[in-house]
Amino acid sequence: MTMQALDTIAYVRSGDKGDVISIGVIAKSPDLYPKLVNSVTQDSVKALFGDWVKGDVEIYPMENIHALAVIMRRALGGGATRTLRLDQTGKAMGNGILRLPVKSN
Amino acid sequence: MGKKIRLGAGSGFWGDALDPAIELLEHGNIDYLSMDYLAELTMALLQRLRSRNPDAGYVPDLESHMRALLPLAREKGTRLICNGGGTNPEGAAEAIRKLAQELGLKGLRVAAVSGDNILDRVDELVATGCDLTNMDTGDSNFSGIRDRVVAASVYTGAEGIIEALANGADVVIAGRVSDNALYVGPVMHELGLDFTPANADMIASAITIGHIVECAAGATGGMSSRFDEMPHMGCVGFPIAEFHEDGTAIITKVKGSGGAVDQFTVKEHLVYEIGNPSEYLMPDGVADFTRLSIEELGQDRVRVSGMGGHGRPETLKLVVGYEDGWIGEGMLFFPWPQALQRAEKAKETLLARFDRLALKADAIHFDYVGVNMLHGPASPMPDYDPAEIGLRVAVHTKTRAEAEKVRRACAQLWIMGPGGTSFGTPMKPRPVVGSWPTLIPRTFIEQTVEILEA
Repeated sequence: MTMQALDTIAYVRSGDKGDVISIGVIAKSPDLYPKLVNSVTQDSVKALFGDWVKGDVEIYPMENIHALAVIMRRALGGGATRTLRLDQTGKAMGNGILRLPVKSN
Repeated sequence: MGKKIRLGAGSGFWGDALDPAIELLEHGNIDYLSMDYLAELTMALLQRLRSRNPDAGYVPDLESHMRALLPLAREKGTRLICNGGGTNPEGAAEAIRKLAQELGLKGLRVAAVSGDNILDRVDELVATGCDLTNMDTGDSNFSGIRDRVVAASVYTGAEGIIEALANGADVVIAGRVSDNALYVGPVMHELGLDFTPANADMIASAITIGHIVECAAGATGGMSSRFDEMPHMGCVGFPIAEFHEDGTAIITKVKGSGGAVDQFTVKEHLVYEIGNPSEYLMPDGVADFTRLSIEELGQDRVRVSGMGGHGRPETLKLVVGYEDGWIGEGMLFFPWPQALQRAEKAKETLLARFDRLALKADAIHFDYVGVNMLHGPASPMPDYDPAEIGLRVAVHTKTRAEAEKVRRACAQLWIMGPGGTSFGTPMKPRPVVGSWPTLIPRTFIEQTVEILEA
């Protein structure tokens, strides 16, 4: 059986504030929200982005809209103007999180 | 049916399209058109313009935008609110007053809202004993950057905008007010709200709605994960927020315009660039995004209800911009076959060239374009031989001369590098303005409003 990736169950949008990248991950339907919560954890996100995320990862549930706010600190190489990355505002990082495998429990 | 206020979002950033703003005025039946022009470090750029010319320092596009918008706004009775004043709201207001006279818009009232730009008050702030610790890094050594400071702007709230509207302003031109103060201001003015605790939920509702629409097309299909399903995005309509006096709102757009408003376009923007969603901190209040409800009412109509939060914080966010060295950058592309292997060998060669040129670098960053440039360590390596691969290098240096060495080393690979090496115009080194975000007491800042009449 092939592993299902998060892009099959969630939409995303990401952006920056200083050296922080925030990623909103939204379940495509309410019944998929528990799977989303199980799949996106501090450990899974840290492991996915490796040394691109130097600070803490915080995950806030938004059960009312079946979404998670993922906050990654010291994650943008010093912030939009200082970073050496092409994606200066972390816009593409949201799609990166969709590589995480879906976990049912 | 109670009172409702129709607010159009006319700009999401400096560089945004003007035609959707014109469409909103013509067909949106809006009471206010709010336009955001400022990103976090736009102020540093504008400050640089002002240091060369004391009359400059506002968003240069403001005049051409207002030339198109003012006559329509007067005809429709729509008031315009923007933060395009940048580092010189008074200068911008004077320019717009002259423009209004030229356009024959006699009696037009243009307000300048200032007080956010504290570049010449930094030492006064330090003298108050405020520690100015960097919110991102925890670094408390502000004196280490003091002599390199080029901009200092405080995210201010809606008070100045409210005062301007109460004094009959047709156009309000602010400096660094928070993006959503452009929406909170007119709502508080129309509903007669002040900052007493009893109004905290209503103000938080206005903050929430401002947040949803403030990036314009961001709420109508732009940036969407479902972009492939979005109709006519080249003619995308910018959003309209209809704020009701019961604290609910409807997000919609002009009928027939491109894009869409549905539960997901609204949810996607609600989660955009936030921290803790139960405490979305703004100068005018704190909104809680975890208790609201989003409901589709029909085509391109979404209702947001159950919003709330609590009162405004005692601190305001100050972003200090400071000179922080240079970035030298290059991009080279390699063709099939074995494109990735060519890029890897080119990287080794570049590093050796940097050595030979005695490059003094603070940090060197490489990407393989087409492989890992956007997702970094999250990217899998290709398991096939790609048609083409790029090598990108970016280097942080203290001086321009060192950054120039990066351009030179990249150019030398033209003939010293792998066969098929291709690149366009070499990139010039660029100066870096670093950002130092910190919190200061609200009491340090007072907004001022000046009204000019055409």
